Amino acid sequence: MIYTLVGLRGPVAMLLKFALLGAIDAFLIWFLTAALAKNSIIMAIVVIACLVALNVSFLIKGAMPLKFLIVGVLFFSIFVITPTGYTIVMSGFNYKTGNEIDKASAINAIMVNGLVPDAAGTTYDMFLGKSPNGQWAAILYDASKHALFFATLKDVRPITEADITRDSSGKIIAAKGITRLTDAQFADLDTEIGNLRFPLGHGAFANPQGTDVASGLVQSFVYDKKKDTITDTQAGITYIDNKKGNYANKADMNQTLDPGWRAWAGYDNFKQLLTNKRLRDPFVGVFIWTIAFAFLSVGTTFAVGMLLALALQNDLRFRRFYRGFLILPYAIPSFMSILIWRGLFNKNYGAINHLLHTNIGWFDGPWTARGAVILVNLWLGFPYMYLIGSGALQSIPSELEEAAAIDGASGRQAFISIKLPLLMQILGPLLISSFAFNFNNFNIIYLLTGGGPTDSGNGKIAGATDILISYAYKTAFGSTYHNYGLSSAISMMMFFIVGTLSMYTLRKSKVLETL
Amino acid sequence: MSSSVGVRNWWRHALAISLCLFTAFPIYVVITTSFDPTGGIASTSWLPVKFSFSNYTQLFTDPRVPYMSWMKNSLVISAATAITSVLIGAASAYAFSRMRFKGRKVGLQALLLVQVFPSFLALSAIYVIMERVYLVAPTFGLGSIWGLYLIYIGGAMGINAWLLKGFLDTIPMELDESARIDGASVPQIFWLIFFPLASPVLAVTAVLSFIGTFNEFILASLFLQDVDKRTVAVGLQQFVGGQYEQTWGPFAAGSIIASVPLVILFLTMQRYIIGGLTSGAVKG
Repeated sequence: MIYTLVGLRGPVAMLLKFALLGAIDAFLIWFLTAALAKNSIIMAIVVIACLVALNVSFLIKGAMPLKFLIVGVLFFSIFVITPTGYTIVMSGFNYKTGNEIDKASAINAIMVNGLVPDAAGTTYDMFLGKSPNGQWAAILYDASKHALFFATLKDVRPITEADITRDSSGKIIAAKGITRLTDAQFADLDTEIGNLRFPLGHGAFANPQGTDVASGLVQSFVYDKKKDTITDTQAGITYIDNKKGNYANKADMNQTLDPGWRAWAGYDNFKQLLTNKRLRDPFVGVFIWTIAFAFLSVGTTFAVGMLLALALQNDLRFRRFYRGFLILPYAIPSFMSILIWRGLFNKNYGAINHLLHTNIGWFDGPWTARGAVILVNLWLGFPYMYLIGSGALQSIPSELEEAAAIDGASGRQAFISIKLPLLMQILGPLLISSFAFNFNNFNIIYLLTGGGPTDSGNGKIAGATDILISYAYKTAFGSTYHNYGLSSAISMMMFFIVGTLSMYTLRKSKVLETL
Repeated sequence: MSSSVGVRNWWRHALAISLCLFTAFPIYVVITTSFDPTGGIASTSWLPVKFSFSNYTQLFTDPRVPYMSWMKNSLVISAATAITSVLIGAASAYAFSRMRFKGRKVGLQALLLVQVFPSFLALSAIYVIMERVYLVAPTFGLGSIWGLYLIYIGGAMGINAWLLKGFLDTIPMELDESARIDGASVPQIFWLIFFPLASPVLAVTAVLSFIGTFNEFILASLFLQDVDKRTVAVGLQQFVGGQYEQTWGPFAAGSIIASVPLVILFLTMQRYIIGGLTSGAVKG
């Protein structure tokens, strides 16, 4: 009865439903127009797919499971599956600093770079400013030819002395259709001005040198679309596609033109990672430490947490206090505690050196840094192990222990041969997911040591405490040199390892059979 | 008798007390540091020599340190993520628990498997994609907290749905049937019966998701470059993450203010959270 009274079929519920759907549709349509305005076809297709999926699932009758799942599935597909797929694709590309754009844009950029000072070394007197529509414009005067031009970034036209005003020294101080900028504005736009190229026709350009003079440039590169080559006509060099994302000198393939483009590299990133000594050695080192770190983290936290669970298992004075206080590390936001530990380990003013009356640079040596990482992770992790450990202890019937005691087993014997195996059975899956969590525990590494100490002398980016995820992060975003392709290849390997591990766990725990 | 109990118990106390000291050590230092006006990490003496609130006042008055904005960003994004991901998770869990449909088993297996993949494993892909989104709609691309929010929700679904399905499975089927006989539709059963029944579990899921998002650093630091748009985690890290210039005073004060609500939230929900942990959830 009550259901018809409260009613989700009533007009109010209907209105609510359509209002919500309408709002989401409106948002998606706004996004769609934005995507179309920017010619972003893929994004437009994704948005249309979302629109169709949402409206169809909510407007057709029946199909209940779809109504309940569609929003989750859409988010999941867009923000988990798509990036994962994209990672796979990226790992097959030579995609790094210098090879970030597509080939057509790279060719355009190379052609701009191919502008060299013309043979005569022409210089122009220049009056630079903005035209009424806010675009750059300049008056250019070639004194040797007494030629006067009005140039914008799009075109150029000859003008006469009547259009300009000169001061007594002959310097142009005003011109029709151009507003000169103030010196402060010029100073702000310094770099932009240096990159301006005013086309003068016939492959010639004028490039501002400061605000009063421009030098003449000519196009020295010729792009041959058919043969896919770029020829430097001044130097007489032909550059061909090296199939790795760059144009390379035909005679010396190591000499390439910048910028390059994202080129399909197949499994080259993986091959480099496994065979190129410069990449392989750090990768193998990081890999081994990742495994060791995850094992040690789970091992130490589990040992301490379980011991604590055993200690607090029976009625003990202050037990409630201990319990409440000791789960604090789990409740405090971990990024803060990690940073605080970072301060405690500081060589000069850290409390640990102060406490021990030492002056050790904990993060300067690889082994002390690794020890510090494990210790801090113990601090962060033992309360969790204590919590799940004491939960598991409670679920083991006490009759088992009593039976063992009657059979003459000592307390320790009973624990080792009866309780521990049972505990491991209960906690096994949790320990493995804890392993997987630590395998990807970016925060502790990045915030505590930053992956260091790093032997940066020879351009290495992997440090002694870097784990795979922080290494992948550094490879992609660590410095001014970004290598997205290689980073994706590292991520792929992690997908593979963690995936295998979790499949194994799921099989073992027989969860899959009870679905 | 009592003395023998005392002897048997001494190692328990010894272990618990030494762990208490271990636990207390950084907490004590951060508290004394937060009141130390010199701005360095307190180490020269174990007892505070000087006492002042200057670190705290700096957080709220110094225009270069928009602590209030960071706190607001963190709370907004964490709360939004918690609520949305619980709603999505509850709906998915309900479908998986109560309905039989094509693809159910595959869906569940997929959910289980991706649980272990944190979304930031694909971080360079996410970065490149969001860079493109920024070009189309800056509000939802790189640099905006709403773009970050969308990514968080996408990654949060797996864990939540799995945890909630486990709980829904324990609610007897008879309940659905009697409601259906009374004339309730499926959405009505979901909103009016399951939602109230599952509210403790939903609350735990929401709290865990809130804490997880609040703690998240890697994506937030990659995404949020503008000083005003940072979360607390990213903002506070700037104080002490640098190689040379480290200002511990404001960092400690900021950490304490940010932790207190979380610790209280955690301790009040303690009993439920522990129940959730032992049934298989892992704090992110």
